Amino acid sequence: MNTNSTAKYILKKLGQLILTLVVLSLIVFFVSRIAPGDPMRAYYGDRVEKMSVQQLDDARERLGLNENIVTQYMKWAGSALQGDFGISYIYKRPALQVVGEVYHNTLLLAGVSFILIFILGLLLAVFCVRHEGKTIDRVICKIGVATNSVPEFFMALVMILVFAVTLGLLPLSGAQDLGGGGTIKHLILPVAAIVASHLWYCAYLMRNKLSDEVRKEYILLCRVKGLTEKQIIWKHCMRNIMPAVVSIMAIFLPHLLGGAYVIEMVFSYPGLGQLGVASAQYHDYNMLMLISLITGASVIIANMIAQVINEKLDPRFKTEEIREVE
Amino acid sequence: MRKKLPVISISILAVIVIGCIFAGLISGQDPYYMHTDQISQAPSAAHVFGTDTLGRDIFAIIWHGGRISLTVGLWATLLSTAIAVVYGCIAGLAGPRTDDLLMRFTEILMSVPQILLVIFIQAIWGEATVLSIGTVIGLTSWMAVAKMVRSEVKQMRNAEFVLAARSMGGGFFYIMWNHLMPNFMSAIMFMIVTNLGSAIAMEATLSFLGLGLPTNVISWGSLMSLSQNAMLTGAWWLLIIPGIFLVVTLICITEIGEFMRTANRREKLI
Repeated sequence: MNTNSTAKYILKKLGQLILTLVVLSLIVFFVSRIAPGDPMRAYYGDRVEKMSVQQLDDARERLGLNENIVTQYMKWAGSALQGDFGISYIYKRPALQVVGEVYHNTLLLAGVSFILIFILGLLLAVFCVRHEGKTIDRVICKIGVATNSVPEFFMALVMILVFAVTLGLLPLSGAQDLGGGGTIKHLILPVAAIVASHLWYCAYLMRNKLSDEVRKEYILLCRVKGLTEKQIIWKHCMRNIMPAVVSIMAIFLPHLLGGAYVIEMVFSYPGLGQLGVASAQYHDYNMLMLISLITGASVIIANMIAQVINEKLDPRFKTEEIREVE
Repeated sequence: MRKKLPVISISILAVIVIGCIFAGLISGQDPYYMHTDQISQAPSAAHVFGTDTLGRDIFAIIWHGGRISLTVGLWATLLSTAIAVVYGCIAGLAGPRTDDLLMRFTEILMSVPQILLVIFIQAIWGEATVLSIGTVIGLTSWMAVAKMVRSEVKQMRNAEFVLAARSMGGGFFYIMWNHLMPNFMSAIMFMIVTNLGSAIAMEATLSFLGLGLPTNVISWGSLMSLSQNAMLTGAWWLLIIPGIFLVVTLICITEIGEFMRTANRREKLI
């Protein structure tokens, strides 16, 4: 592959990314504007009723609400590009600034859960496939299906009830002790709740993929060569299903983030989810838009990364894609 | 791997559904009546499941709450299925460019977690009602089914019976209803059942978080949201009993969905 086509390829990927982000922002913007409620109320809340006519007109002018919706979007997008997503109505500060203070908590919570689910899911998948059809596999599958249908918030509640209220082992809520510290202690229950309610989603898909893989013909050759089951699965099958596993994890990301947001709410864990729910309750649309955009953008970027990893793992992905273009 | 009909799940679900339909008959008590002298009582003979923080009998409330939860779930599923079928058929029958555009759009929508979309739209809609919350959940959960419908339609768009119907001047909805839907409904049925489960779970989550139904409209979720603080006082039944009803319903629905999925796959193999 020459440099020219690689450059073209990167440009194309970048173009796709930008286009997707623009469409996402369009959706978010228009949904918030077709609101039956008055956008003024979204900005100023109940204060709207106390404003004079002159003040209302000024505010309308300042917010650009007198212009048509396309111009409004252009203006909004222009300032968004400069990092200005408007003022958060609850916090009376730039929305981006408020998000900037808590996003690392969500990143930590979701990141740790993601890695744990990836590792545990893979291990569970391998274990199930090695015991496929046996009682233990069937039991795990049953338990998995059951945990997968328990809503996250209930899983979290039960965990709080058992480990925090009854046994008093772990803290009930928050991300840190009063005055800082104890981050890990505060992370255990939320992470456990996320992992418990989402692990099977990934493990099941991986299990099915691996189960198909061990039925392929090259496995027979491996056996004839005298490789052990462990070697076959970890050295040969893993390599082949890795692209699929990466795709699974990419598809899973929005589920994980949605789950993390709910869990944050239940544990009063300061993060994007708690911020999002609070801003929905108090009609802080600027904040909600920003959080939706951040979440959507991170999922889209993660999908792109997954695609790139897959192309590294399996060059066939790339050549196919490029052939498609030409 | 042959799977037997999930008799247990079906019967449990049937009991819950029938119980909810005939809620008034089963409980025999007014769910909204507040026994002000018996607040937050543990399960006892008088109140089988105890009473909540407002003194309402939980056994009576639970069946009435189930009615709302199931209604929201059914309406959301109906709506999302309708959108998914029409959208998927359009994408499947359209030319490659339109198809690509439509599918990109679903991918973008799928990149935002459903809970966030629901919260977003519901916040704009205003105060949640049974109808609005079902509609919002339906509007945000059709994407996966639509993708499946599209790929099914793509496989049969050039089949003789579709071409024949088209050449005889059959309209889009005529072809969709008479020729396409009978062929793919069995394949997407399991996803519809799964959607029903997640719609019920979504309503419960939202109501629990205080973003869904207000607490005076009883559903399993709003019932539990009342008792967030009760947990600390040790009134576990306020949470666990509605929660168990919810979880059991969801597990039964999932089991039935799983059965449909494997049953469908078996048909295809033959």
